Amino acid sequence: MAGTIRAQYPATIRPIRINCTGRVTPSLMMRAIGKGADGIIVAG
Amino acid sequence: MLEGARTKGLNIYTYSEVEDVEGFVGNFNVKIRKRARYVTSDCNGCGSCMDVCPALGADEFNEGMNSRKAIYVAFAQAVPATAQIDMTKCIKCGLCSNVCELEAVDFDQEDEIVELEIGSIVVATGWDEYVPPKGYLGYNEYPNIITQMKLERMLAPNGPTVGHLVRPSDKETPKRILFIQCVGSRDLTKNTYCSSGVCCMISIKNSKLIKQHYPESEVTVAYMDIRAAGKDYEEYFTSSRKEGIRYIRTNISRIEEDPETHNLQVILQNTLRDSLGLQKMEYDLVVLSCAMVPPTGIGKIQNILKLETSQDGFFKEFHSRLNPVDTKIPGIVLAGSSQGPKSIAESISQGRAAASSLARLMSKDKFKIKLIRAIVDKEKCAECGLCELNCPYNAINLVKGGAEVDDILCRGCGTCLANCPSEAITLRYYREPQYEEQIDAILEET
Repeated sequence: MAGTIRAQYPATIRPIRINCTGRVTPSLMMRAIGKGADGIIVAG
Repeated sequence: MLEGARTKGLNIYTYSEVEDVEGFVGNFNVKIRKRARYVTSDCNGCGSCMDVCPALGADEFNEGMNSRKAIYVAFAQAVPATAQIDMTKCIKCGLCSNVCELEAVDFDQEDEIVELEIGSIVVATGWDEYVPPKGYLGYNEYPNIITQMKLERMLAPNGPTVGHLVRPSDKETPKRILFIQCVGSRDLTKNTYCSSGVCCMISIKNSKLIKQHYPESEVTVAYMDIRAAGKDYEEYFTSSRKEGIRYIRTNISRIEEDPETHNLQVILQNTLRDSLGLQKMEYDLVVLSCAMVPPTGIGKIQNILKLETSQDGFFKEFHSRLNPVDTKIPGIVLAGSSQGPKSIAESISQGRAAASSLARLMSKDKFKIKLIRAIVDKEKCAECGLCELNCPYNAINLVKGGAEVDDILCRGCGTCLANCPSEAITLRYYREPQYEEQIDAILEET
């Protein structure tokens, strides 16, 4: 969405494509936080 | 319908109900309950039984405005054109079976279950007219307040009054008629949706019809907004205004009845002329233009087909804009008002779209699926059933020995594996370690 409307967003945001927001598991989020991510946006 | 009945290869089961549907696209097993008519298929619809039958019931086809016999043909164009007995009204006198030359009356007939193998399914369950609660706008309290459906039957040449408009209270021709729009729709306390402009167009049509039949009558339409969106609709609306039909933009405050004349006092405020304040107007007949609502029994067929409904209660399509015909289940499509309120033209368009969607599917011998599907490791599966509960496509069945995924119904969303406490489910091509690698790689850079 951000791409199609040519929206500017900080380069520090790194998208990971998933099939469905239902696919996101807590362990994946915990892993990202644990490895130093400042925050996670689950969008769909 | 009659033409359909004559078409070879087209079987129509009327007076029947779908009891159960199993299987998947190309291989549906359908159980249909053919309800007992108590008249065999030998009947040729001659009608001599109806002449002698002494028991009466309300004619459902004419909205209960006239009576029919306990043995009757549902309506003139019914398919098949055979009689049926309403056992709630029948007194089992046997007169009908005495006069029937074809010996078609069978009081001992029972419901019949037909099992069919079906490739694909079109859901075309239609709609019902909204029934206002008793007393709302005087409905069911004052005799001269009727709904649009009753008016339709009254204006029909084959209806209970053979096309004459009469008031229910005294059978006189009404002079002043008021249509009230948006009864039960566009109302936060009832249905929030607009019935797709259908009730607007029906009111315009019927008000024109009344004006043509009775040019001296005064026809008024009380509306919120006239939604005449569609080819030639606006012109139709404009022509009705030129013919002298009056439109008042208002919400009806209340309706009172004159107990002697049964005339109706309608209290309203014209919102385009606020200076006039509350007005009291008298009418002979009030017609409620009621919303289109999901048909009774939609819940049953929803459970059988495992479909979803939208907030308005109609069946939910795959995507409201990009795919309004298909459902989430391959091989099951929606046509007409089963998906939402629709006019005749829109229903035909969707019916054709539904047919072509299935034709594309059924004309091939093979049904291709993507390999992105959930896989269950049965050794890890604790048979808790969380996946079955959370699957939005009803693709998972919990059987003994572990959950089983139906590869045709599964769309590979991965909700099941996110919910699985035993980590027994994986999604092909989208496995956990793949995501973990991605996360690690991204966070390493910083």
